[in-house]
Amino acid sequence: MAKKERTHLYEGMYIFSASLSDDARQKALDKVTAGITKRGGEVLKTFDQGRKKLAYEINTKRDGHYILLYFSVSSSAMTEMWREYHLNEDLIRFLTLRVEKVPEKIEFQPLSA
Amino acid sequence: MTMGPRKSPVENLFSKKRKQCPFVAAGMHHIDYKDIETLSRFITERGKILPRRITGVSFNNQRKLCSAIKKARHMALLPFVSEE
Repeated sequence: MAKKERTHLYEGMYIFSASLSDDARQKALDKVTAGITKRGGEVLKTFDQGRKKLAYEINTKRDGHYILLYFSVSSSAMTEMWREYHLNEDLIRFLTLRVEKVPEKIEFQPLSA
Repeated sequence: MTMGPRKSPVENLFSKKRKQCPFVAAGMHHIDYKDIETLSRFITERGKILPRRITGVSFNNQRKLCSAIKKARHMALLPFVSEE
């Protein structure tokens, strides 16, 4: 009997091409979330951070649409997903990190001077 | 003529008050790569990471800060080099 793999909580930040239309971007995001769910993962929270100017040009693109996902998958699924992300042309950049918990909202306390 | 206790001039010159780490002072336990406002206080105009001898960040927090800045650079939130 195959042993069920332990899942971990991850935070993923994805930059989608800003030239995509809203529908196309939604489709690209669905592709990412489908990649998580079909490997037995679960998307817990999505934060749409909107369109932002990139600090430097990436493949002649100056803007990107930032989306933050919180999800849980097994670590072996993660390596498969990375391979998929590299082939995805709508995805400019991605960063996936292990986290402890899912935040309620994204905000930071300022450092007092 | 009476003289009070006098510090030697050498001691006065070098006994600088130690700065407290800004992250410890603010009670921040986690340095997030998404928090651009905070991170940008610890880089130069050109985008280089400031040494902790200038900012007063503690050794452990400087290491966390470095990796947060590098993550932010990867996600194009901060520049590797700023041109202006």
